[in-house]
Amino acid sequence: MLTIGKLAAAGEISPDALRYYESEGLLVPTTRTASGYRLYGEDALRRVRFIQHAQACGFTLAEIRELLQLRQTDKACCNDVRQRAIEKRLQLAAKIRGMQSMSAALDRLIAECADGSQSVEDCPIMAALEQIDGGMEPAR
Amino acid sequence: MKVELIYAAGCAECMTARAGLRCAAEAVVAGVEWAEVDVLDALDYAVELGVLTLPALAIDGSLVFAALPTPEQLRDELLKRAGHD
Repeated sequence: MLTIGKLAAAGEISPDALRYYESEGLLVPTTRTASGYRLYGEDALRRVRFIQHAQACGFTLAEIRELLQLRQTDKACCNDVRQRAIEKRLQLAAKIRGMQSMSAALDRLIAECADGSQSVEDCPIMAALEQIDGGMEPAR
Repeated sequence: MKVELIYAAGCAECMTARAGLRCAAEAVVAGVEWAEVDVLDALDYAVELGVLTLPALAIDGSLVFAALPTPEQLRDELLKRAGHD
């Protein structure tokens, strides 16, 4: 059995993060000592790694909980996991597009502000950001 | 009119629903073009449409149903677009 400190050290994560995982229903201690300290079984480190890897792929904690629940669902199969991964890929691609659009908008503003010695009041970037009718394409 | 079902291969829900949806579309709009798009073959197009969850249904190049409609919902939407409502 691992204490929260030992599990945190092994998973290179803070004890607070482990407690947060617990509050989110992702990681439950196997038992507690008589004094109430959390104790984790051997599979806890695997679970922590799973959560970390899924987060690195962009899954939120709520989505990770759903992935973990699939394991306990008899009817679920690999295609259910695959579909979630594809949906996450779509969401990431949409975010990238949005950020590219923001980046292009900033490029246009930067190009408009060739004379950096103007006062802030006369700054074309500030003026463009202030335009009521837009003039900037919204990020998608 | 073109109706596109955007799906991920292996999606059981899509396989179950597609025949009913296709029948509904063909019953309402003569000569409707029905297409089934594997999202992994057209990821950029799916992102362009705004697809974030699967399966989804697009009509004439616009995402209309972010989740699969019932055949009745699809029929109503197609009738509306055809100006028959």
